[in-house]
Amino acid sequence: MATWTWFHRLGSPPHVYAFAQRWAKWFGAAAALSMLVAVYGGLVLAPPDYQQKDAFRIVYVHAPAAWLSLMIYTTMAVSAAVALVWRMKVAHAAAAACAPVGAWFTVVALGTGMLWGKPMWGAYWVWDPRLTSELVLLFLYFGYMGLRAGIEDPVKADKASAVLAVVGVVNVPIIKFSVEWWNSLHQTATVMQLGKPTMDSRMLWPLLLMFLAFALYFIAVLLTRLRAELLRRERNASWVREAVGAA
Amino acid sequence: MSSFASLSDFLAMSGYGKYVWPCMLLGFGVVLLNAWLAVRALADARREARRRLEMNP
Repeated sequence: MATWTWFHRLGSPPHVYAFAQRWAKWFGAAAALSMLVAVYGGLVLAPPDYQQKDAFRIVYVHAPAAWLSLMIYTTMAVSAAVALVWRMKVAHAAAAACAPVGAWFTVVALGTGMLWGKPMWGAYWVWDPRLTSELVLLFLYFGYMGLRAGIEDPVKADKASAVLAVVGVVNVPIIKFSVEWWNSLHQTATVMQLGKPTMDSRMLWPLLLMFLAFALYFIAVLLTRLRAELLRRERNASWVREAVGAA
Repeated sequence: MSSFASLSDFLAMSGYGKYVWPCMLLGFGVVLLNAWLAVRALADARREARRRLEMNP
């Protein structure tokens, strides 16, 4: 019973709006604090890599951004699926709120990857499975946003873009496992090897903290964007009057 | 504690500064940009909602 009450509240725009209003700033503050500590730990305290010297420090922005680009897409696809199955307006709003943020972090993953590839591989870009599938992710985000923008009827736009988001999720495991399935220039996972991380602990803790910071940051941004989406979609609902403090 | 002997060492990043610093600028620039875009989207939506309510009390 309690689970269903919780689920129903998740589908209620005023409830979600109030929740987002209450929590976004705390997630934002926690993200800022942990990001500052992780930057100091990664750029100043961590020792240089024995092969890559200080170029390895790019990992502190590249890996969390790439991971976030996949996390955001997964969040978007799950929201879209929930929205399609249960016809939940809040879930459509959440999926729409994810897309631009996800696209931006895909750009960061690709851009920092190129800047790292040049000194290490000798080229900014190679048509490698990992790089190509991450580029496809960017096009999926663009396709999702383009589809939303191109369909005038908001209900149809929600449905069509949600189907695209769900179908496109097949690319997420392709990106994740591309380095194992095919010969790739890109290195395999460093942190997520259960039991034996292959990094010195002085390099590892800032990276793990940066992952946490990026996750907290995404929650804060998502909650804020979700509030904006809900206000636009629910503009004729009575709860909006109270929410924006209009007379 | 720092792994650099001086500030110029830190900025040089063992010769990789021209790759490391643009990455940091891009990464944390996008972090700040998206925070700002979200806050602005919310402010716009609130202003628009208030305007509609004032027009149709």
